[in-house]
Amino acid sequence: MNKMLVVMFGSIVVLALMIWMLQSKPNSGDSSGTPGDAQTNSKKEPLMFFCAASNRAVMEKIVADYKKEYGREIELQYGGSQTLLSQLEVTGAGDLYLPADDSYLKIAKDRKLVSEILPIAKMEVVVAVKKGNPKSIETFEDLLREDVKLVQANPDATAVGKVTRRMLTESGQWDSLDKSTTAYRTTVTEAANDLLVGAADAAIVYDAVLHTYPDLEFVTLPEFAAGTSQVALGVARQTRQPSAALHFSRYVTARDRGLANYAKHGFQVEQGDIWSETPELNLFAGSMLRPAIEDTVKQFEAREGVRVNTVYNGCGILVAQMKAGQVPDAYFACDTEFMEQVPDLFPEPTDVSQNELVIIVKKGNPKQIAGLRDLTKEGLRVGIGHEKQCAMGWVTQNTFREGGVQQEVMENVTVQTPTGDMLVNQMRAGSLDAAVVYLSNTAGSGDFLDAIRIQGLDCSVATQPYAITPDSPNALTASRLFAQICSTDSQDSFMAEGFRWKLETESSADND
Amino acid sequence: MTDPIAKQQIETRTKLKRRRSDLPFFLVMSGISSCFVLLIVLLLAADLMFTSFEDFRAAVMKPAIQSAFRLTILSCTIAALLSIWVATPLGYLLSRYRFPGRLLIDTIVDIPIVLPPLVLGLSLLILFHLPIGNWELEAWLRDDVGFPVTYRWPAVILAQFSVSCAFAVRTMRVTFDQINPRAEDVARTLGCTRGQAFLQIALPQSWRGMIAATTIAWARALGEFGPILVFAGATRMRTEVLSTTVFLELSIGQLNAAVAVSLLMVAMAVVVLVVLRVLGTGLTS
Repeated sequence: MNKMLVVMFGSIVVLALMIWMLQSKPNSGDSSGTPGDAQTNSKKEPLMFFCAASNRAVMEKIVADYKKEYGREIELQYGGSQTLLSQLEVTGAGDLYLPADDSYLKIAKDRKLVSEILPIAKMEVVVAVKKGNPKSIETFEDLLREDVKLVQANPDATAVGKVTRRMLTESGQWDSLDKSTTAYRTTVTEAANDLLVGAADAAIVYDAVLHTYPDLEFVTLPEFAAGTSQVALGVARQTRQPSAALHFSRYVTARDRGLANYAKHGFQVEQGDIWSETPELNLFAGSMLRPAIEDTVKQFEAREGVRVNTVYNGCGILVAQMKAGQVPDAYFACDTEFMEQVPDLFPEPTDVSQNELVIIVKKGNPKQIAGLRDLTKEGLRVGIGHEKQCAMGWVTQNTFREGGVQQEVMENVTVQTPTGDMLVNQMRAGSLDAAVVYLSNTAGSGDFLDAIRIQGLDCSVATQPYAITPDSPNALTASRLFAQICSTDSQDSFMAEGFRWKLETESSADND
Repeated sequence: MTDPIAKQQIETRTKLKRRRSDLPFFLVMSGISSCFVLLIVLLLAADLMFTSFEDFRAAVMKPAIQSAFRLTILSCTIAALLSIWVATPLGYLLSRYRFPGRLLIDTIVDIPIVLPPLVLGLSLLILFHLPIGNWELEAWLRDDVGFPVTYRWPAVILAQFSVSCAFAVRTMRVTFDQINPRAEDVARTLGCTRGQAFLQIALPQSWRGMIAATTIAWARALGEFGPILVFAGATRMRTEVLSTTVFLELSIGQLNAAVAVSLLMVAMAVVVLVVLRVLGTGLTS
C-alpha cells in the first residue's frame, strides 16, 4: 500500500516536472505562443509558414538568411501539400503556404484561402536513374523494357503523376507506360527513394527533387518535354500581418535573395524582382482611371507595405514622358492607341476595361441634342478632349470621322482639354452647351447633367489596357497590383465609375 | 528367459524414444518463433548497414534532432503517465461493473485504435477550431486561458495521449479481468468500502498490468506520427518529434539521416522498455 502511494505520488511529481520542462525551455516549448508575449520577446510576431516538405532544404536556408537580415521569426511547418492545405482551411491560421506544386495553390485560391500567389521556379518532368545509368535508359521505349522496374508517383494524388498522365494520354503513350509501371507511390520523393534503395531502376520525377540525391541522375526525354509545373508561394487571405507576410514573400521571390538559393538547389527559377525592403512602384495611369483605381492602389499599398507612385495624366502626355525616357514599372492607358505608341516598353498589354463616349448636356437637355448630328447645330458651344493630349480626344475625333460629322462639329468646338473632368467642370460652370466625354467622367454629376449615348459607332468605345515593363525590377509586384485591380471589389468600383469590365474572369487574370 | 530381457529392451527403447521426441517439439516451436525474431533482427541489421556511425553522429549532433529527442522523451512520458492514470479507473470500471452503456463505452474506447491516424489528427484539429456560434475552443484557450494548444507541444501530447490511452485501457481491462474479484468481495464483507477494495486489493494485484499498460502507451506514443503531423504540425525545434523527423528527412531524400534517427528511436525504445521491465519485476517481487 505504501509503495503504491509513493509510486502514485511520484508519477504526479514526474508529470508536473516534465510539463514544467516543456513550458520553460525556450526553443522546444516556446511558451510565448500568444502574440502579445511574442511581441515583447522579439518585437516582431512570428509568421506561420506551411511549407511542403520537399522544399525544406532550400527554405531553411532562406529563412535563416531572412532572420539574420531582419530578425523576424518564421515558424516553418512541414507536411504534405494536401495536409497543409487542410490545416490552412480548418484552422484559419497561418500566413504563408508553399505546396510542392502550384495546382494546390489554385485549389487554395478557389477556396479563397490564398490571396497573392508569387511564382518561384519551374520544375520539369524527367526520368531519374541511378548514377551512371546502369540500365542505360535513353529513350521512352527503354522505360517499357521488361528488365526495367519503373515507379511513378500516383497520378491522382501527385502533381508529377498528373502531368505525366495528361501528357502521355494526349500522345497516346499512357497505356503502354501504365502497363510497364511496377508501382505507383504516393509522393514523388518515395519514388526517388525506391531508386536509392534499389527497389526500382527508373522513376518519373521532377528534376528539382533530385538535387538532394547525389547518387541519382536524370534523363530528359522528348516525350516529357511539355511537362512543367511551377513552385509558387501563396499568402493566406486570413493572415493577420499581410505586410510582414508579403515582405517575406518578396524576399523569397527576389532574384538576388531567395531565388538565388532556389537556383543553387537545382530549380529553374523565375525572373523575380530585385530585392528592396520597401519597393517603390511607379505607375502611369490615364486620369480617367483615377476614380476607379485610387482606392485599390491605396489598399494594395497598405497590404503589401510598398509605395506606389502613381502619375495620373492625359495619356498623350504620359506617352511623351515615356518617350523622353521616364519609364514606369506599369502603365494603365486610357485607350489601346496610347499603349501601341510605346510597344518597346510594353510588349504584352492586357485589355482590362472599356469606357464609352457620351454627349453631356445640361440637365433636361434644353438644346434638344439627341445624337452626334445635333452637335453641328449652329451656335452650339461644344467641348471635346485634345486629340494629342488624351485618348479621349483621339477617340472623339475617330468617332466624329466615322459618324461623318468631323468638319461640321469642329466648327462648333470652342475648347479642347487634356482631361474629361475639365469639360465636366466647364459644363457645370455654364461655359459650354455640350461636351463629348467618357461616361466615367459623368459619375457624380447626375444632378446637373444628362448623358446621351452615341449609338451605332464601335469606335466610340475606348479600351483600357494594363501592361508591365519586362525590364522592371518590380515586375512581380506590379503584376500583383494588377491582380488587385482585377479583384471583384475593384471591378465593382470600375462599374460604379461608369466603366465596363472587359477582362474575362477574376481568376483568369489572377493566374497570369 | 529371453522374454523379460527383450521386454526390458523394448521398454528402454520406448523410453529413449519418448525422451528423444522433445527435440522436434523445440525445433518446431523455436523455428516458428525465430522467424519473427529473425525478421526484426534482420531489419535492424539492414538499417545498421545502410547507415554509418558518422551519419548517426552527424544526425545526433543536429540541434533540431536534439530538440526533437528531448520533446519526444518528455511528451511520450507525459502521455504514458496520463494514459495510465486514466486507463486504470476506466479499465477497472469496464471490467468489474455491468452498467447501461457499458458496451458503447467499450466500443468508443477502441475507436482511436481502429481510426486511421490522419483522421484522428484531423478530428482533433476540427474539434479545436470548430466555431460554435462565436465561440471556438482554440480561441478560448488562446485568448482567455492563455494556453494555446494547436501547433504547440500540448497538441503533441494530446495527439499521443488519444491513441496511447486507448491501448492502455485495453491492457488494464484485461488485467482486471484476470484478477479474481473474489478477494475484493471478501474484503468488502470484512468492512472495506469499494474504494478501499480497489486501492488495497485490486490495485496492488494489477502492478504487472499497469507496468505493461505504461510500456504499451509509451511505445505507442513514440511511434505516433499521423495525428501529430496534422494537429501539432512539424515545426522545427517546436513540435518536431523523432517520428516526424524521420518523415521530414525522408521527404527530402535524406535516407541516411532518416535511418539514423530511426535507430536512435529503436535505442530509446529498448532502454525505456528494459527500464520499465526491471521496474515491473522490482515492484512485484
